[in-house]
Amino acid sequence: MLLFGLDLDYVAVVVLFCVGLYMLVAKSNLLKKLLGLNVMETAVFAFIVTAGMVEGGDPPIMVAGTSAPYASPIPHAMVLTGIVVAVSVTAVALALIVQIHAHFGTIEIDELKELP
Amino acid sequence: MRPWSLLLVVLVALPLVAGVATLPPHYAPDAPIHTHVGARYLERGVAETGMKNLVTAVLLNYRGFDTFIEVVVIFTALAAVLALPKGSAPMPKGSAPMPKGSAPMPKGSAPMPKGSAPMPKGSAPMPRGSGAIPKEAGAVRPREEEDPEVASDVPVSPVVRFVVRLLAPFMALFAVAMLFRGHITPGGGFQAAAVFAAVFIALGLVLGRARAARLVPVDWRPWLQGVAPLAFALIAWVGWRLTGSFLGYPIHDHTAQEAMTFVLEIGIALGGGVILARLFLEMEA
Repeated sequence: MLLFGLDLDYVAVVVLFCVGLYMLVAKSNLLKKLLGLNVMETAVFAFIVTAGMVEGGDPPIMVAGTSAPYASPIPHAMVLTGIVVAVSVTAVALALIVQIHAHFGTIEIDELKELP
Repeated sequence: MRPWSLLLVVLVALPLVAGVATLPPHYAPDAPIHTHVGARYLERGVAETGMKNLVTAVLLNYRGFDTFIEVVVIFTALAAVLALPKGSAPMPKGSAPMPKGSAPMPKGSAPMPKGSAPMPKGSAPMPRGSGAIPKEAGAVRPREEEDPEVASDVPVSPVVRFVVRLLAPFMALFAVAMLFRGHITPGGGFQAAAVFAAVFIALGLVLGRARAARLVPVDWRPWLQGVAPLAFALIAWVGWRLTGSFLGYPIHDHTAQEAMTFVLEIGIALGGGVILARLFLEMEA
């Protein structure tokens, strides 16, 4: 489906990416920044998986009931790797945020800047 | 701050849209992604790997190095989380500046070994008595102390408690099914790990962390957490013995290939699930 000559799926991905970027930049709460980063990551994953789909394609599982054309299996494997990396980044960031909250009692960047 | 953020977002969005506009038509079968190595995998994947699910074939066989490093990445993330200094639990408001002495931690001696390192931070004057934190965790902690066996960390409605306890075995069964049928249906080790961890976290929220933590025996934790990289190392060594190349697969012996990938899948599911569960256990403020 086209929108001003652009694929609507790709436009949606760009919009999602920008929403995440805005959350990352504009919010002062560290947890919201992390959520924004995750939204950006989701946009990238959606982009890669979308690019691997083909018109009328079946999932690349060669069992009875599926037939060519198949979706490309590489984007799925790459996104699986990406998801694991995203989870790792999120886990470490969450642990750091927990530490920041324990030490300073706040996770707002504005308030953290004013601390001595 | 806000206008500059919006400007930045627009500045990023414009090149992205411009780049998207130059991509080949969406869903077109002759796009580069379908004509290069992807086409080769689809053509010869089943004959070369013996796996019907080509995503698994790409993940564990063609791009096994990638996945090897991937499980090392999540293992490293757990190591990083565990390496953060403990013992900086939020102290009750207005208490003595040394939160350690009172030790309101139900976990006993666990946070103590590293206690010497974060001590300077603990003794520093903490600028937190100003009441900037309305939701102090102190309200939660005593409950845990009173009865660590049954008390959950947050109040849970009976409905949620019942439903989670009712569905947990079926969720676990679903994870096992995804693991063992991953070669012919969507699924596999990582997906099973995610569902295992979801079961664990749901039970942890309902039953309390202390009780959920017993699902992963403390003595086995170091080995269970590292089982995914260890399984990969083992299979890499087996492949080296069989074919002469690191993480190689005997291309004509489908039985051996299936056995090797099965070991990898189990290792990923077990190790990944335990790592995610442990990460949840460590996220304690």
